[in-house]
Amino acid sequence: MELLNNILEYLGLFFVLLGSIFLFLGALGIYRMPDIYDRLQAGTKASTLGAMSVALGVGLMQPDWLIKLIVIILFIGISNPLSSHALARASYHSGIVPFFKNKIDAYENVVKKEKKKH
Amino acid sequence: MSMILFLIVMVIIILAAAIYAILQKDLLYAVLATGVISVILSIFFYLLQAPDVAITEAAIGIALTTIIFIITIRNTTRDEDEYTDNHVEKFSKKK
Amino acid sequence: MLKKYIIFALIAVLGFYLASTFKAIPFGANRLGDLNNPETVSAFYLQKSPEDLHVANTITAIVVNFRGFDTLGEVTVLFLAVTGLMSILYRKEEEETEERLAIPSSSLVRTGAKILFPLILVLGIYVFVHGHLTPGGGFQGGAIIATGFLLMLITYKTFYTNHNVMTWLESIAGLGFVAAGLYGLIVYGSFLQNTAWTGNLNDLISGGLIPLIYIFIGIKVGTELTSVLDTLLNIKPRKK
Repeated sequence: MELLNNILEYLGLFFVLLGSIFLFLGALGIYRMPDIYDRLQAGTKASTLGAMSVALGVGLMQPDWLIKLIVIILFIGISNPLSSHALARASYHSGIVPFFKNKIDAYENVVKKEKKKH
Repeated sequence: MSMILFLIVMVIIILAAAIYAILQKDLLYAVLATGVISVILSIFFYLLQAPDVAITEAAIGIALTTIIFIITIRNTTRDEDEYTDNHVEKFSKKK
Repeated sequence: MLKKYIIFALIAVLGFYLASTFKAIPFGANRLGDLNNPETVSAFYLQKSPEDLHVANTITAIVVNFRGFDTLGEVTVLFLAVTGLMSILYRKEEEETEERLAIPSSSLVRTGAKILFPLILVLGIYVFVHGHLTPGGGFQGGAIIATGFLLMLITYKTFYTNHNVMTWLESIAGLGFVAAGLYGLIVYGSFLQNTAWTGNLNDLISGGLIPLIYIFIGIKVGTELTSVLDTLLNIKPRKK
């Protein structure tokens, strides 16, 4: 029993460390990237994974809280990508041009089709 | 020690956001700065062992007040100077 | 010139009284007093709310029972504010021809909102039903419910709150609060007096009238804030 608790605690510490590394990378990405799309990419992906693994690590260290933390992980998993998607879509529609604009803009045609429908 | 450092950083962020909200001419950014103040205030209320007030601040201060201000900005003007200029023009025309 | 001196004198007098007032407040000192001495107010609340009222959350006991009349006033203030706003901004549905959203939201956002909306509603209802056991209460739960409706309002173009249902819910909740107060007045002789039966500590149905009043407050605040958001969102955006 003692051994199991020790293993769970070290596993939890590992997950918290992993999560904090990912959160740091997300913050670095927000600081380093040039425009909103890259910042959303770096910030949200890294911080979603970081927050989820920090919650999982805390849950492994304190097994009483595990069910609540799993609910929180599911909530983060649904809401965080959704919000970043909505932000990116809104900034495209309000006319922000990507910093590294390639020749190919696949979303442009979709927007034109949607406008024709309405 | 680390707790005190955390609190000092939080207080500095609150003050910076408040001054930014006053000085900013673009009203949308000012509203978002007040939202940042609410986020940190709700953390403070939780740390000061007032979870009831923390929940209120989180729901009303962060979500509802910010959204109501943003809807108002959508229906009026986003720039502070534009609004005052328009009113000065109207006022001078009447005279 | 004389005006300036009078103003300075006034400021000096006011400043003196303000400074002497602040001097009397013991900043940083323990103002709770001795918690074992039942003559202090805080000790009275901390002892009475678990023992007599069987309410685990002392703040709820203070807000709804000991200071229940103040809460009725707060609810009235919110009601009057919402009434004023609606009387200025409300328009009938036949006149609404404009679009609430500038661009329609994507199917990803719509599906996600559909998943999150019931979860947020359940959280809000939990917060105000468990107001006497855990932190939270009517105002907090109502605000959370309003954020859930806000999510649907800004995601779906066709999502409308039924105005009649909202009006009835809001009126019944307000009447229920006053009726609970009048029950205490008629049976026990003072307004908002709690019932004699208060159940056991930490039970869901305990505390007499307190959970009932908090449920009424939660429904009232939720419907009022939702109707404010609905009305504000239906205004035509200014043409740029």
